[in-house]
Amino acid sequence: MKYFLYWGCSLEASGANFLVSLKPSCEALGMEFLEIEDWNCCGASVSYAGAGDLAIKVANARNLAIAEAEGGYDVVAPCSSCYIQMIKVNHEIKEDPDLLEQVNVCLAEGGLKYRGNLNVRHIQDVLYNDIGVDKIKERVIKPLSGLKVAGYVGCQSVRPYGEYDSVNKPVVQDRLLEALGAEAVPFPNKIKCCGSGLFVPEMDYCMELVKNILEDALNHGAKLISTVCPMCAMNLEIYQNRINDHYGTHFDVPIVYLTQLMAIAFGMDMKKHAALNYNLIPPEGVIHAAIG
Amino acid sequence: MENKMGYNASFAEEVFRNVDSGDEIKMCMNCGVCAASCPLREHMDYPPRQIFSLIRAGKREEVLGSQSIMLCTSCYTCVVKCPRSIPVMDVMHGLAHYALKKGYTPRIEAARFGKEFWNQVYRRGRVDERDLAQRAYFAGGFWEGVKKILEFADVGIKLVLHRRMKLIPEKKIKGISTLRKMLDKAEMLDKGRSVQ
Repeated sequence: MKYFLYWGCSLEASGANFLVSLKPSCEALGMEFLEIEDWNCCGASVSYAGAGDLAIKVANARNLAIAEAEGGYDVVAPCSSCYIQMIKVNHEIKEDPDLLEQVNVCLAEGGLKYRGNLNVRHIQDVLYNDIGVDKIKERVIKPLSGLKVAGYVGCQSVRPYGEYDSVNKPVVQDRLLEALGAEAVPFPNKIKCCGSGLFVPEMDYCMELVKNILEDALNHGAKLISTVCPMCAMNLEIYQNRINDHYGTHFDVPIVYLTQLMAIAFGMDMKKHAALNYNLIPPEGVIHAAIG
Repeated sequence: MENKMGYNASFAEEVFRNVDSGDEIKMCMNCGVCAASCPLREHMDYPPRQIFSLIRAGKREEVLGSQSIMLCTSCYTCVVKCPRSIPVMDVMHGLAHYALKKGYTPRIEAARFGKEFWNQVYRRGRVDERDLAQRAYFAGGFWEGVKKILEFADVGIKLVLHRRMKLIPEKKIKGISTLRKMLDKAEMLDKGRSVQ
């Protein structure tokens, strides 16, 4: 199946392990990815400080208009912020035809037009609903048996629209982890916010959010935490030592992308495909301890 | 007759007219679910519910100068929980944008970070994370920038070593000039423009 993959800015930098592992693991399931020609940044969740609402919508509509003109395949956004910004435009223009007209007045400055015909999908949505857990199970060569994983959903991959999963009690990531053979531990904080793009400027306030998430995952027996968002991955992983200094805790828990675990379970190369060498807190130890 | 409660409708009108999603607060029944669901509620001077009441009461300085409007993590919990379907988060973002445009600077670091983020989109069409952090750090002056760079040097070095930070600056997208024209047009049509 063909999709546009809109991977966004983060997946080329701090979230590189997401993109490196996503491509081979999803292609192994029969997915084919096209790039949106000359795509631009979605504006993520902090751009409102510098831009009006309409400008942010137009930035996203530009990508959608290009994708629509280039074949109109579903747009898959692995990054939660990219996903939510794009799907928000789609939702709002459906409710408000005047908005679509305004957006198109702006797009016309660059000779583009968006008709509103595209579907924007999260990578979890596509894996769960298009591929399905059965096909994923069939592809597993090295089941992650005995690996206790906390599937951290975060915010923007399911909220606010709940397109493919419950906004209050999401289960899709857990089902995908289980399809890989892992044990998805119950984890009430799985939908609590990590601070998102506000973490960097408001670190003093946001560290507590991350501390609560890590603590909850560990208290429920998790040995590692999986995520599907580059912002979650970054906030949960790279500040653990600062949180330890601040709260006197001893966190040293690996944070991996769901797609990294897929690559491992599919028997792919730990570095080249699963991109484990990109992780700051090495996950190899707990993975080998569980699956050998 | 003078309004004995001290209510002043003119600020509410200003918000309805000029703030993105500002008119949505008309639906608020002050139940406080937004405040209860917010991850950073403890650090807010006025949680969303109170912000909406203050708007209705005409307290312009309190609202536009408040810390809370800059403390939204964009987690959409309030949007999901609001029983009146108010996009609370969008209102907070709209208020933050409006306040910054009017020269208020609550939570200066968050404001600098967000503004620089958008600058990156406007300047090159994409965000270069290294450049973004650097520019946001130095937005507060040279020495503050140096202090921040030193404070977060360990993070930067680790990200470089683990191939998660680009050392070569991100290039502009090919369609940058037309993207800018589109964004300029959007800012011209935008709600807030009418009161520049």
